[in-house]
Amino acid sequence: MESTLVRIRDLAKAFGEGETRVEAVRGLDLELERGEIVLVMGPSGSGKTTFLSMLGGLLRVSAGEIWIDGTDIAALGERELPPFRVRTFGFIFQDFNLVAALSARENVEVALNIAGERGRPARERARSLLESMGLAGRLGFPVEKLSGGEKQRVAIARAIANRPVLILADEPTASLDSHHGAETMRLLRELAKEEGATVVIVSHDERLREVADRVLWLEDGRFKTLQALVRDPVCGMLIDPAEAPASIEQDGAQLYFCSRGCRDEFLAP
Amino acid sequence: MSVPLARRQLLFRRGRSLAGVAGIAAALLLVLALNAIFAGINDRLTAYIDRSGADVIVAQRGVDTMHMTQSALPEQAAAAIASLPGVADAKPILYVPAMIEGGDERGIAYLIGDDSGGAPLPIASGRRPRAGEIVLERTLAERLAAGTGSSVRAFGQDFRVSGEVDGLASILNSVAFVRRQDLARLLGSVGVVSYIFVRAQPEIGAGELAARIEASIPGVTASTRAAFASSERRVVGDMTTDIVRAMILVGFVIGVAVAGLVAYSVTLSQIRDYAVLRALDLRVRSALALAVAQVGATVAAGFLLALALVWLLAGLLPRLTPTIVLAIRAADVALALVVAGAVALAAAAFPVVRVARVDPASVFRR
Repeated sequence: MESTLVRIRDLAKAFGEGETRVEAVRGLDLELERGEIVLVMGPSGSGKTTFLSMLGGLLRVSAGEIWIDGTDIAALGERELPPFRVRTFGFIFQDFNLVAALSARENVEVALNIAGERGRPARERARSLLESMGLAGRLGFPVEKLSGGEKQRVAIARAIANRPVLILADEPTASLDSHHGAETMRLLRELAKEEGATVVIVSHDERLREVADRVLWLEDGRFKTLQALVRDPVCGMLIDPAEAPASIEQDGAQLYFCSRGCRDEFLAP
Repeated sequence: MSVPLARRQLLFRRGRSLAGVAGIAAALLLVLALNAIFAGINDRLTAYIDRSGADVIVAQRGVDTMHMTQSALPEQAAAAIASLPGVADAKPILYVPAMIEGGDERGIAYLIGDDSGGAPLPIASGRRPRAGEIVLERTLAERLAAGTGSSVRAFGQDFRVSGEVDGLASILNSVAFVRRQDLARLLGSVGVVSYIFVRAQPEIGAGELAARIEASIPGVTASTRAAFASSERRVVGDMTTDIVRAMILVGFVIGVAVAGLVAYSVTLSQIRDYAVLRALDLRVRSALALAVAQVGATVAAGFLLALALVWLLAGLLPRLTPTIVLAIRAADVALALVVAGAVALAAAAFPVVRVARVDPASVFRR
C-alpha cells in the first residue's frame, strides 16, 4: 500500500463571473501521508473551508486534481462521487451537526445505515464506538442533553463509523472549553495512529498544533509557508524548530526542545 | 432495520408536529364541513318531495318544481289518473307558500293541504291534523314557540297545532300540513288542486308511468320523483347554492394553501438536518422520501382529525341551528381523500424541491 494517501495538484476554486469573480483557492499543491495529522490554519476568508469542502468532494473544483487513494475525485461523476465519499471520508464539524431528533447511538447508526450497513451489525458498531469513547452510559440519550465534549465525541464516532481513510475536521474544538478541547485533540491523535486514518483539521485553535504532524498556513487562497513541527523528546510537545528555545545535535540528528529545562533533563546522566 | 428517521423527526418536536397536524386538519375541516353543509342543504331542499312516497308527481303542464311555482289542476284529474293502469294511488294536494305566525314570531313554510295530513311522513309528536288543525315542522314550531294545543295563524286564519313532523326544514323554508279542504277554503280554490302524488303498481317503472300519464291526461306534466327533486334543486340552486359552491371553492383553495404552508414550514425547519444527512451522503432520493413521508404522515393525521371533527360537528351543529344539517356521504369522504391527496402533493412539492437543492457543503457554513 502506498504511503501517500492524498495528492493535490494545482487546485483552484473561483466563485462568480466577470468583475464579481473571486478566486477562493488557487494553485494549491499538497501531499498527505497515511496516518498523518495536518492542521490548516489561516485568517478568516482565506479559503480554508473551501479547501476542506473540495477535499471532501462536497464542492466541485474549478481546476486541478485531487487524488485520493489513486482516484481523482475532481473527475468523478455525480453518481460515482457519493459512494466514494461515504467509504472514504469522515466529517467532523464545529457545531457537531448531530441530528437533534436522534439519540447518541442513532446518530452514529444513521451514518452506517446511509453507507448500507443496517440492523444489528450497525447498532453493535455504533454501541461499540461510543463505548470506546467513554459514552457507554449515554447511548440512548437525546443529543441535546449531552455536554459539548460528549457531543463532539458522538460526532467523532459518527465520522469514523464507516472506517474512513480521511477524516476532515472543521474547527473541531471551537465550541469546546479547554478540557473538552484537549480531550477532542487526544481522540483525533488516537484515531490517526490506531485506525491509520489521515486527519485534516481546519482551525484557528493554536492548541491543535500539539496534535498536528504538520501545520499549513493558508492565506489569500494559497499555502504561504509549510512548517514541519517536531516533537520534544522529553515532554512530547510539538514545537516549531525555528522558534525552539533549545536544541542539540546528537548522532548527526538535530533535536529540538520546548524549554531549556527539557534539554537539561535530556542531557542529565 | 434502519433508524426510523421520519418518525423520530416527527416525534422530536411534538408541539410543532401537532401544530402541523392541527393546521392541516383545520384546512381539511373547512373543505369537509362546507361539502357536508352543501350536501345537507341539498338534502333538506327536497326532503318533503323525497319522503312523500310518490313515484310520479303530476303538475300543470310545464311545471316540474314547487319552489316559487304555482300549479293548478282540476280536482277530477286525480280520479282520472287513479283509473289508469299501473297506478296504485293518486293523492291530490294543494300547495302555497305561506307566512305562519305564532305570537310575535313568524316563518315561511310550504303550506300543504293534504287529506292524509302529510302521510306517509311520520308524525314526530301529536297527531295528524283534523279540520281547523295544523301540523308544523319541528324547527318552525320551536321558532314560533307553538307546542301541540297552541294556536298559529296562516292567511288570517287560526289553526290549532295538532302535532309536529321532523326533518323537513331547510335554510330557505319549512313545511306545514293542514286538511286540503281547509286550505281550499282559505284560497278560494275549491275544485282545484296543485299537484297529484302518484304511487305506481310494483310492475311498472316510474318513468313509464309518467309517460303514460302525460299521454292519457291532457294539460299535465308528469315527472318521476327523482326528476322532480332534481328540478327543484336546480331552481333553488340557481338562486342560492351557487354562493355555497363559491364558498367551497374558496375553502378548498385556502385549505390547500394552508396545508401547503404548514408542510413547507415543517420541512424548512429541518433543512439543517437534511444538509447534515446529505453531507453524510444520504441520497437525494432518500432525502425526498424522508420529506414526503413526514408530509404524508402529517396530512394523513390531519385528514383523520378533520374527519373526526366534521363528524362531531355534524352531531352538534343541528342542535344549535336546526335548519343546517351536515350530510356526510361516502362520496364526500372519497372526495376529501382526493383533496387530501392533492393537498399532500401540493404540500410536498415545495419542500421536496428545497430538499433536493440542499447543498451538503452548507453544513460547513455557520
